[in-house]
Amino acid sequence: MDADRLRAVMVRAYRVMAYLTGTMLIILCFVAIPLQVLAHSDAMVRVVGTAHGVLYMVYLVVAFAMTRLVRMRTASPGTVIVLAAGTVPVLTFVVERWVTRRYIAPALAGAPEPAPARAAAGG
Amino acid sequence: MSDAPVPSRWRVLLTPRWIGWHLFAVAAVAGMAWLGDWQLHRALAGNTLSWAYTFEWPLFAIFGVFFWVKTVRDELRPAAAGDAAPATPARLPAGAASPGAGDAGDAAPDGAAGQDGAGDDDGQDGGPEAAELAEYNAYLARLHREARSHGRWHGLR
Repeated sequence: MDADRLRAVMVRAYRVMAYLTGTMLIILCFVAIPLQVLAHSDAMVRVVGTAHGVLYMVYLVVAFAMTRLVRMRTASPGTVIVLAAGTVPVLTFVVERWVTRRYIAPALAGAPEPAPARAAAGG
Repeated sequence: MSDAPVPSRWRVLLTPRWIGWHLFAVAAVAGMAWLGDWQLHRALAGNTLSWAYTFEWPLFAIFGVFFWVKTVRDELRPAAAGDAAPATPARLPAGAASPGAGDAGDAAPDGAAGQDGAGDDDGQDGGPEAAELAEYNAYLARLHREARSHGRWHGLR
């Protein structure tokens, strides 16, 4: 599997995990937790909470791999935002759109990022 | 700066800013381990949901260590994260001022020849043009410096 193909696969995996994790977190925060607080029924929190926990662990690994492949730096704010988005309701969806526009689309288009790398790539 | 020996590269990790990040990493990992321990006690006290978190927090702590290692390695080998051209970006500012860098790329060689002022294809030693090229070279050198010393933040722009 060449680098471009791997990058495309990881971007797709990141999107799938972002939407799954984000959806589960919305259900947890806007359905399950209100049920727990208002109806004193924590059955749904147990299931959805655990599911989000497991999904977030997978999301963390997949999203981190994706940030490497689209050449985001490890400790950059962008990477931290992408990784943390899985714990904030609705944010995964917003961040997925933003990271697609800002990093994924340029990387998939093969656009070189910093000027020194561009000069080197030409030679 | 361009071809720094290994010891001085390690020294980057001992700047106050980096020491702050090291301490933050240690505190974060210790905090996650402590949360895992807390959840273990809750789980043993009968909270079944806590069993999931008992295993989750240690895994997050491990990921934190992994993240820190990657960050340090990024800092020590800035070009390795990108494509397979580690040596050329590191030499660029020096190379841009010497005529030998003619094969470096599409934009840089013109700047290199122009700034040197030695007889080249263009021939024109026009003042404004040379100043412009010198400015462009300085810009490239500045980009290079930023990518090296503050590379971990350049994703922000």
